[in-house]
Amino acid sequence: MATEIRMPRLGWTMEEGIFGEWLKQDGDKVKMGDFLFTIEGDKATQEIEAFDEGILRIPPDAAKPGDVIVVGAILAYTVRPGEAAPFATEPAASAVAKPAVPERVTAAPQAITTHAPLTQNAAGRNTEHSVTISPRARRVAGELGVDWSALNGSGRTGRIVERDIRAAAELAAQQPAESVQAQEEKVRATPVAMRMAQEAGVDLAELAAQKAGVRIERADVEAAIAARAPSTSAAQPITGESIPVSNMRKLIAQRMLESTHNTAAVTLNTEVDATALVALREQLKAAFTPRGYSVPSYNDLFAKLVATALQEHPLLNARWQGDEIVMPKEIHIGLAVDTPEGLLVPVLRNVQAQSLRGLADQSKELIAKAQARKLSADALQGGTFTITNLGMYNIDGFTPLINPPQCAILGIGRIVKKPAVVNDQIVPRAMVTLSLTFDHRVVDGAPAARFLDTVRQLIETPLLAITS
Amino acid sequence: MSDSPQLDSNQLDIKKDQLLTLYRNMLLIRWCEEQLARSYAGGLIHGACHTYVGEEAVAVGVCAHLRPEDAVFSTHRGHGHALAKGVHPRALIAELMGRATGCSMGRGGSMHLFSPEVGMMGTSGIVGPCILQATGAGYSFKLLKKDNVGVAFFGDGASNNGAFHEGLNMAAIWDLPVLFICENNLYATEVPISYSAGNPDVGARGVAYGIPSVIVDGNDVLAVYEAAGEAVRRARSGGGPTLIECKTYRTRAHSEGMRDAGYRTQEEVEAWKERDPVKTYKQRLLDAGLAPEEDFEEIEADTQALIEDAAEFAKNSPWPDAATATNFIYSEASHA
Amino acid sequence: MREISFIEATREALTTAMEVDPTIFIMGEGIGKRGGNFTTTLGLYDRFGPTRVCDTPICERGFVGLATGAAMTGTRPIIDFMFIDFILDAMGELINQVSKIQYMSSGRLKMPILLRGCIGIGHAAATHHSGSYYPFFVNIPGFRVVVPSNAYDAKGLFATALQCDDPVIFLEHKSIIFNKTHVPTEEYTIPFGKARIVREGRDATVVALCSMVDKTIVASERLAKDGYSIEIVDPRTLAPLDLATILESVHKTGRLLVVDENFQPCGIGAEIAAGVIDQAFDDLDAPIKRLNGAHTPVPYSPTLEGAIVPTVDTIEQAIRDLLAE
Repeated sequence: MATEIRMPRLGWTMEEGIFGEWLKQDGDKVKMGDFLFTIEGDKATQEIEAFDEGILRIPPDAAKPGDVIVVGAILAYTVRPGEAAPFATEPAASAVAKPAVPERVTAAPQAITTHAPLTQNAAGRNTEHSVTISPRARRVAGELGVDWSALNGSGRTGRIVERDIRAAAELAAQQPAESVQAQEEKVRATPVAMRMAQEAGVDLAELAAQKAGVRIERADVEAAIAARAPSTSAAQPITGESIPVSNMRKLIAQRMLESTHNTAAVTLNTEVDATALVALREQLKAAFTPRGYSVPSYNDLFAKLVATALQEHPLLNARWQGDEIVMPKEIHIGLAVDTPEGLLVPVLRNVQAQSLRGLADQSKELIAKAQARKLSADALQGGTFTITNLGMYNIDGFTPLINPPQCAILGIGRIVKKPAVVNDQIVPRAMVTLSLTFDHRVVDGAPAARFLDTVRQLIETPLLAITS
Repeated sequence: MSDSPQLDSNQLDIKKDQLLTLYRNMLLIRWCEEQLARSYAGGLIHGACHTYVGEEAVAVGVCAHLRPEDAVFSTHRGHGHALAKGVHPRALIAELMGRATGCSMGRGGSMHLFSPEVGMMGTSGIVGPCILQATGAGYSFKLLKKDNVGVAFFGDGASNNGAFHEGLNMAAIWDLPVLFICENNLYATEVPISYSAGNPDVGARGVAYGIPSVIVDGNDVLAVYEAAGEAVRRARSGGGPTLIECKTYRTRAHSEGMRDAGYRTQEEVEAWKERDPVKTYKQRLLDAGLAPEEDFEEIEADTQALIEDAAEFAKNSPWPDAATATNFIYSEASHA
Repeated sequence: MREISFIEATREALTTAMEVDPTIFIMGEGIGKRGGNFTTTLGLYDRFGPTRVCDTPICERGFVGLATGAAMTGTRPIIDFMFIDFILDAMGELINQVSKIQYMSSGRLKMPILLRGCIGIGHAAATHHSGSYYPFFVNIPGFRVVVPSNAYDAKGLFATALQCDDPVIFLEHKSIIFNKTHVPTEEYTIPFGKARIVREGRDATVVALCSMVDKTIVASERLAKDGYSIEIVDPRTLAPLDLATILESVHKTGRLLVVDENFQPCGIGAEIAAGVIDQAFDDLDAPIKRLNGAHTPVPYSPTLEGAIVPTVDTIEQAIRDLLAE
């Protein structure tokens, strides 16, 4: 029977070797100890000896100098005199190792989570006050239903510790029993919510404790009702096509509620003559398109005009931070984008310093990424103002919700030809309705209105933006 | 060096069938080691493989006097000791192939071979400890009043290690039943003993500890047999330890796959191959007419079949279950 | 009930075991006729003779290697290092052989070796006679590490060690080995891996090792006067470590301090802290603190030596600091 001659393992970690040369020829008589071939090592050539006696048979597609061979691959055979060589009909495909191509490790596609910026007052995270709390205290606070966000910690670093939680809980428990009226007054709830709660038998005080001191609204009571175990008097759940609630939807829901609860939102409407803006856009289209530049969209134009207005009215670009209202110099404008999965608001950076071309490129990229769910977390953070445009759906005015921690948002409706009065004549003009929602805690109605009026002026005379 | 004993089995304290057994055992080691070298080159053996080719007379000559309860402690070049002490070639080859049927159940490989059932108390990847552990076995046997012996097989490299000094000294002062067998193959990996030892005759050091010591031709199985026999008798009768230096040579590289060049000449290797313990012994037995050719052919056929069977068995053996990887760290499974 | 010292208690357990089990023998320097530098084997030489109570030459690697071979061939050796610092010469035998032989032989060989020695800083013994070194042995798989803090525990743990088929490192702190406490005359064992609540409390947990236990008790009594109730846990063995008892205590108190004379880096406190943070994160009201001896070779002069170990005062302060966190 033929004996196989294989590529030897020369070292502990050797997986393959480089063939040197044959020292014997096909048909030679060999005995144990004869050197048959060499292998190139790192430092020197190593001669490989035969283990068996016989006639050496080297296959026609034998290893050649320089070939990389895997350990264990058959290189040749020793046969008895007169015996046939057992060459495989296919070439020894296993002998020559394929060059090792490192596997490209591709990361699994991540679902993009639009998590709130770290400064948001989401449950338990650091607030602007940098309150720290020990894990144990946090756990006990949850167990006892204590809102620790306003507590002072007695830990060495000001950390809230268990004793602080227990003290707060005890304090709350020591309050004398109040009349229902007083309780209701003490519990901040809208009248609608109070009525709903009473009708449905929802305990407002309990709800208030969970809401940690914010005003209870109708939606809260509705949620409480829905969360209750079904009883014979409660409404039965309905059936129908169901959509699983995605993380994105949950997050949007949370942020919308937050906005509703934590801001004093007021919306101002005005109708603006956008004829000059439309003409400007036509001019830009005509100039940019042949040059291959991205044509600024209406949103790009609005963003630029808003940024210009914000420079004159910095309070609308501000945010409440601790004990101060901070007005950053940089204007980063969030652009509301509708995607199949829900609303995303990527941020245009430094709009005050950008050219229209720059803005156009930036927004094109951001919108494309938003649609493809490829936005980075950074792209969704840091906005100081937001614009949201529902014009394409033929909406005129609406009540956009503020995007916390910003203090204002501008809603833009459709640009539509309407009759207008110019010089006592009725003429068709391109009109657009603007809806500015602002946070009355930060800025009052008059300054907000003045800002909106500046925006109007810039829209009606866009050259002012370029020249101011 | 002692003269080779006369091959007259009437004069020698050895029976004829024992003479053939010595040949059989040496051949088993030789062919098993060559099989392992083949398997190693074929990628079937992982880690290191230090072969005993050329030194077979030492393991066989010593272990011929040992019982299963006698304890052998060996070093990194220990396949010969394992086979001579009674480990089956199937268990040895399977162990080196990392299979569950190996003598250490795949946990040890070449340098951690254990088969306490036959008194094979471990090969070792560290040079030296076997000397101390054999001394310890001697201490146990003394305390338990058994007439068993502990045997340490080690190389010239170990003779310069502190374990040699401490072990021989303790065996000496407490009269322990231990055999210290130094297999001096002239090189510790590639460092010659002429360089690393103040006195390259290891067997001359016995006097420093006050114990009997002897130097023999390690390629002459009968010389080893005789010296070991005397040492074992001494130990079993309470006479204490003996140091036996066997001058021998390994004709393969230090470790399979290592370049066997640069520190010794091909001429030196060839010269020692002329003194091959297996071939020369067979020739002597034939020349002295102590056994016919047929006996040798039978032994050779048996051994070939045994090795082939062992290699097949090993190749087809299952791998150890990964779930058992952390078993046996402690004596009770319930301990953390 | 009578009171005997830690060393006397171990000697009692040892003598009883040697009478019953003829395979036990002891090796070490000065443990024969002299009866041991710390009286660990006082009187045993006359009782059991020179083969069972064997004086060795100064060759720690040698006699640990010897003990390894002996343990593999039917006997149960005890190596008495006198000062644990001397074990370091035998580290190769301990880590490469003793800890691995059960594993390498797939459980067919046991390793019933007891390795004992005196540890700890004090009496100006200076840096070659003041080591503790237990984290090494806790880190390596295969060892049991025992650190009793009092005579009662010492007797029970020593008895368990002499029935254990694993290698046991039994460490006896020099400054407590002559301390006396109530010890029953009858035989008893204490299992490995079971910590002891030395003192119950609600405000903080202190895990204390060896000689630190008594000091922590004194510190806690001072704090009790100020209305603080401190729970003290003595692990008794470090491998296996009874983390469950520590976790239970932290669940109750929320605060943890580990007091250990041995070095801080990669020490037992680090191991305990990691385990507690992993499994009791939400029980923690404060960061986990460790009070250790200084990370330095041990100095000779008493004023220097005294400055590098935790004292009752520094332990008390460490607990106060923990409470203030």
